[in-house]
Amino acid sequence: MKGFIKKIKLGLAIIVTKLTVWGLRMVGRGGTSLPGKIALKICPDIFNRLSDRFRIIMITGTNGKTTTSRIIEGMLQKAGLKYISNKSGANLASGVATTLISALSLTGKPVVRTALLETDEAAFRTLAPKLKPEIIVVTNFFRDQLDRYGELYTTLNNVREGIHGTPGSRLILNADDSLCASLGENVPNPVIYFGLGDKVYPEDYLIANSDAAFCIHCKSRYEYLSASFAHLGHFRCPNCGYERPAAQIECTQVLEYDNLSSTIEIKIPDGKITVKLALPGLYNIYNALAGAAVGHLLELKENDLVHVLEGFECGFGRMETLSVNGLNLKMILVKNPTGFNQVLKYLMTQKDKCVVGFAINDKLADGTDISWLWDVDFEILSFMQNKIRKFFVSGIRAEDMAVRLKYAGIPSDSIFVRHGEAQLIDSMMEASKENDTVYILPTYTAMLDIRNELKKRFNLKEFWE
Amino acid sequence: MYELKICYLYPDLLNLYGDRGNIIALQRRCQWRDIEVNVEHVSIGDTLKYEDYDIFFIGGGQDYEQTIIQNDLMGKREIIIEAVEAGKVFLGICGGFQLLGKYYKTPGGKEIECLGALNVWTHAGDTRLIGNFVFEVDFLKKNGEKYRVVGFENHAGKTYLGDGVKPLGKVIKGFGNNGEDGFEGAVYKNTFCTYSHGSLLPKNPVLADHLIMLALLNKYPDFQGLTPLDDELENLAHDSLVKRFTD
Repeated sequence: MKGFIKKIKLGLAIIVTKLTVWGLRMVGRGGTSLPGKIALKICPDIFNRLSDRFRIIMITGTNGKTTTSRIIEGMLQKAGLKYISNKSGANLASGVATTLISALSLTGKPVVRTALLETDEAAFRTLAPKLKPEIIVVTNFFRDQLDRYGELYTTLNNVREGIHGTPGSRLILNADDSLCASLGENVPNPVIYFGLGDKVYPEDYLIANSDAAFCIHCKSRYEYLSASFAHLGHFRCPNCGYERPAAQIECTQVLEYDNLSSTIEIKIPDGKITVKLALPGLYNIYNALAGAAVGHLLELKENDLVHVLEGFECGFGRMETLSVNGLNLKMILVKNPTGFNQVLKYLMTQKDKCVVGFAINDKLADGTDISWLWDVDFEILSFMQNKIRKFFVSGIRAEDMAVRLKYAGIPSDSIFVRHGEAQLIDSMMEASKENDTVYILPTYTAMLDIRNELKKRFNLKEFWE
Repeated sequence: MYELKICYLYPDLLNLYGDRGNIIALQRRCQWRDIEVNVEHVSIGDTLKYEDYDIFFIGGGQDYEQTIIQNDLMGKREIIIEAVEAGKVFLGICGGFQLLGKYYKTPGGKEIECLGALNVWTHAGDTRLIGNFVFEVDFLKKNGEKYRVVGFENHAGKTYLGDGVKPLGKVIKGFGNNGEDGFEGAVYKNTFCTYSHGSLLPKNPVLADHLIMLALLNKYPDFQGLTPLDDELENLAHDSLVKRFTD
């Protein structure tokens, strides 16, 4: 009798979820979270019940989850696997439930066997042990919106706990991140590390605002042979000897690096490939390496790996490019200091004149505390003022952003406050000349608003498709 | 030419939530007035001489970082107390506020000894007090009215003030020191503490200038007063947020 009720509950959850998704779409909304919420109410143990119906890949970490997921999608397609994935940043338990159920027939049979799940770090703790994924990818750990996620070490421990609940999963970890790499210590799981080779990317190591300057085991200050950005690099603890593990997937050379692409050489366990990544930015090299590691586990051949890495497009709002009226419009999502710093460094590679706009909201999904803007090194923008015609600030916290720019050394008379997406876009287009690039850097909900406005004007795709 | 030296305590460890915005604000507002300003980082293993500095700043850290500095900080205890007693300008924020107090009582009832530079103490609470907040400061005036400071608080500790220490302000919106008595922060001599982290000084220029002025008066007794700056953007940010959170 008990088993029968359980079955009914699961069946009911599936049907109700599908109906809700359908209903929301009918009224023109991308139902990504509400249906799963209802499913979890009806059938709380739905994840345990569904785990053996799928071959699951989970991705978590602070930055690069979405882009890495997109690269992995390319790998899955190349491997001829049909898959389902949670797009649109629906990465909490409810979004994951919606995604899995959408891959089931009404009788609960999986229509698609592989599930690629981007997961919020806190949600990962409870989801991973239930879903028992075949592969877990952890990108990195940086300070994030602390009002939402709490302290960095809490986040790390959430992921650690999740991994301890699924000892059979293969782990793909960032070797250059002392926090992330520590997840591979003393666990039965097979581990593949990815990272940048020593001194591949020359940069002075900046200790200020580093999230992990001190050894996770013995609290001594790390020494670095070389560093890429933030606390990522070839670290070593002089006291207890904890050091960057050897990486099986490693970028051994950066051959070219500009504002459109980077050409890199990657060592893989059985060879070497040279790849021209269509996406610029050092952080995307890390994302590509994580993707290559999954491709390697899927037993893709060298040319297939190259093909996927050279062909992928960027994820939702991560870096979207649009050509309108002779202008290039690029929108890049910003959500925490490390990611924002990387985007600014990417702007520095810009060769032509440009107009830059920041749209900062403080809704729940953005983080209600915008203090983190002061951890971003906007000061570097003052070095490229000859290239930036004007700065625009928008969003609920436009004025905070204006103050931040002023204190970074940008003259007040080149900073313009524009409330409302329509006004922001109008002003930015007006301020630019032919062949300029218009950069819009929004936080999450500001991106949704701007995207809607752009969608209306220039016919962008619906995001939940 | 006037000159100020700022001591930034543990910038590599106590730098949560953009605390460094306060240092940037002090620096810029001095530079814009041709006041020479030097910021020195003092961290683990560094020696500290309080006479060398005019302004001290200590921010907040995550639990992990606070355990790392504990021993070193207690080694600097006497010097920090001397700095406070000598009337040096001192700004302590969030974790830094708590560390300047007498003790921090953990949820298990254990009292962790702190610097004891201020007669305040902190008890761990069961819920975090998080959100935008606004408080009114008696001794700061703008256009003849009491100045309202706007910021963001995020703390689990509840702080209580003892004799000799005054609150920095009266809470208009939010929780403040403990969510109970309606007060926020602490003032003792020229030491100012608050739970308002991150971009406190850039958005509240009247408070920033008050600290700069006190430091200059300490060092140059005949100092005549600060030249006003164009604070249009700062005031726009300040006024729009005060309005948003108190309306």
